[in-house]
Amino acid sequence: MKRGIYSKPVLFAVVAAVVILIGTIVVVFIPMLTPQMHVKLENLKPYTALQLAGRDVYMSEGCHYCHTQTVRPLKAEVMRYGEFSKAGEFAYDHPFLWGTKRTGPDLARIGGKYPDAWHYAHLENSRNFFPDSNMPSYAWLKNNRLNPAQIERSMRALGFPYTAEEIAALDGKTQMDALVAYLQVIGTAVTARAIAPKIDVAPEDKNPFAGDPKFIAKGKTLYDVHCLMCHGVDGKGVAGLAPSVADNIWLDKEGDVTDGVIYIITANGTTAGMEIAGRTAKGGMPPFGAAMSRQEIWALVTYMRSLQK
Amino acid sequence: MNDYQYDNQTVKLFIFSSIVWGVIGILAGVWVSIQMWNPAFQIPPYFTFGRLRVVHTNILAFGLVLGTLMGMFYYIVMRLCKIPLIFPKLARLTLYLFNIGIFLGLVTLLSGKTQALEYAEFEWPIDIAVVILWVIFATVIFGTIIKRKEQQMYISLWFMIATIIVIAVIYVVNNLSIPVGLLKSYHLFAGLNSANVQWWYGHNAVGAELTMAVLALFYYFLPKSTGLPIYSHRLSIVAFWSLVFAYMWTGAHHLIYSPIPDWIQTTAIAFTLFLIAPSWGSVVNGYYTISSDWSKMRTNYLTKFFLLAIVFYGLQTLQGPIQGLRTVNQLIKYTDWVPGHVHMGVMGWDALVLVAAIYYVIPKLYRTEIYSIKIANTHFWLVVIGQLIFSITMWVAGIQQGVMWQATSPDGSLMYTFSESVSASIPFWKMRTLGGIIFTVGMLFFIYNIYMTVRKAKKPATVSLEIQEVKA
Amino acid sequence: MANEEIDNIEKFEAKETSKKLPRGWLILFIGLIVWGVYYIAAYTPAISGWSQEKAYEESLKK
Repeated sequence: MKRGIYSKPVLFAVVAAVVILIGTIVVVFIPMLTPQMHVKLENLKPYTALQLAGRDVYMSEGCHYCHTQTVRPLKAEVMRYGEFSKAGEFAYDHPFLWGTKRTGPDLARIGGKYPDAWHYAHLENSRNFFPDSNMPSYAWLKNNRLNPAQIERSMRALGFPYTAEEIAALDGKTQMDALVAYLQVIGTAVTARAIAPKIDVAPEDKNPFAGDPKFIAKGKTLYDVHCLMCHGVDGKGVAGLAPSVADNIWLDKEGDVTDGVIYIITANGTTAGMEIAGRTAKGGMPPFGAAMSRQEIWALVTYMRSLQK
Repeated sequence: MNDYQYDNQTVKLFIFSSIVWGVIGILAGVWVSIQMWNPAFQIPPYFTFGRLRVVHTNILAFGLVLGTLMGMFYYIVMRLCKIPLIFPKLARLTLYLFNIGIFLGLVTLLSGKTQALEYAEFEWPIDIAVVILWVIFATVIFGTIIKRKEQQMYISLWFMIATIIVIAVIYVVNNLSIPVGLLKSYHLFAGLNSANVQWWYGHNAVGAELTMAVLALFYYFLPKSTGLPIYSHRLSIVAFWSLVFAYMWTGAHHLIYSPIPDWIQTTAIAFTLFLIAPSWGSVVNGYYTISSDWSKMRTNYLTKFFLLAIVFYGLQTLQGPIQGLRTVNQLIKYTDWVPGHVHMGVMGWDALVLVAAIYYVIPKLYRTEIYSIKIANTHFWLVVIGQLIFSITMWVAGIQQGVMWQATSPDGSLMYTFSESVSASIPFWKMRTLGGIIFTVGMLFFIYNIYMTVRKAKKPATVSLEIQEVKA
Repeated sequence: MANEEIDNIEKFEAKETSKKLPRGWLILFIGLIVWGVYYIAAYTPAISGWSQEKAYEESLKK
């Protein structure tokens, strides 16, 4: 015991370093050289200047300490958030932002889930949507202008393509604008929310389930999952975000929005300036044609009609 | 006699500055725990949850723990090598560099300047300062060990050498980044590699700093303060080598069910479970050492710190690996269970060993006795109770969250919305704050005790000095 | 001047038990190595064919 490695510090340090490096080389360094760690989905695009600026805000404010960005391949998790995360989604992420804790929900599939207006309102005060939410208010991000020169340096350093116009367009934009732009792109390379072709007419002239209590109940469940976030509890609407669906008034005009028209709007969503039912839509509603079946959309219509009585 | 004139001033100053950082880090922790159930408790932009949480973790991990460890390493290495530090001026330089680094870290983190990698948030200029600090620190420690007057290196020195090597390797690799400004950079690695490197770093930073380095202190201060010799030298050897070997394979257990290749996850899980053995090697060694003479529990107030510390270390190193099993991981990952787990380790194991070491060292350095054993005992019970309230509420909250997220109705749909799981967690978050406050009060007792010990020791000296002046 | 204590490391380690490896602990040590080998074999796609994705698809059938 008197001799040997325990009385030769240099030898001891060398042996310790070798022992430490074995695992490191096998599970960290060698994988770096293999293609399985460098996969990239076909429709994954580098971040635009505005999105990257938003990602910087996300990092700076530590959003990833409360929100994860990985949906695990587990049944309940896929039901809650959408398609599980794929290896090829993260090739442009310096660094990865998967997070470790869900104080708030996972955001891996947040892109395109809600309209921009929802994100602005929610970042300003999440308690307008969820009374018990413990998220800080980020209203102050609206007061912070972006620094185009800094973002251009970042784009160049990361090797992301950009144009001079794109950088110029950042002038006057706020950190809030950038953050929303980033949130809207997260996970969209995979997005389970496929866009169904637009429809011109509803599949039936009349709602086949009108007044059916079973479908009212089913419609309510669907409403709470997909619509409540913007149209509010019991369809009462949220000021500045989305109109009430409980009052049969749409765009200041009462009535004459038929079941068929509600069906079409639900399936197609709205875009600004779109003409429908004699009105010009303000736009911003996402399409649900791919997320829901014909029967489900009719159930939703049934439920919304039940609110109007 | 003059052979043993140690550089004690640097050790003292390291301990005192760490305590100051500790107060800031702990208060930041209490603050973020309140923000969890009262979101109005923010002062944007500097004191919002997303920034304060990082201050809490970094200032405690680096300011309190690393600072204390550096001071204690200096203390131990001089005594085990029987010579003063070989480069005392460099040692003093590390003290200044350390404090400047932590201060800059605090300011930049509050300003939102972060690399966004857990426990590696400091931006690149601070990282460079840390690397310089570490090289100097390693030079002093290795130099002193090489020049030592005691042929044999005691176990604590092995753990110190391993700690210095592991931190050097992981810190440099994970902080490789592309700078785009004075306080802005992007991780050199992207996507899967970024994740794999970061958690290899994150896990081994914990492994080196909060396990190996603290074991170095444990193996030194347990026999020193109790007079009980370590039970088995051979067990120490097997436990040491298997621990430093296996630790480095396990980082990906933070990435179970992520898109990281299955084989990396599986390998990490297997090695994680194996870690029970070397960890429990130290537990068994520590427990048998103390159990060789139970009367020390009555006669020496520090014995219980070491006993409870090694018990919590044992629970921690059993709970951790079990969390790595895929079936368990499914339920508790991303929930409050995990902070509960972490805090049992840091509040139950690390904090107890560190304060016991300080309780031992400060009176020695000032040639006095501890000011009050009674206050030390009060401190002990408050931090143990505070920690238990904290950890247990978080485990229960975590299981509840995990169950609510997975629960499905008979028709196959999800039973709870996410916000329902938030509402259901609020009472637990309030309890956690209570546990944290009790722990904080305990630490204030500790600081008061140390302060009074130093004051008591200094007083006679000042008095005699005054008398001399009057005479002159 | 400094009347420092001199550490005598012989006093740090018990003589009579210094070569002991408690049997229970040794069984744990070897048992975990054996289990680790089994676990890697059973859950590495290239060895057993198991994969996270397949396990997920299985769970959907239930």
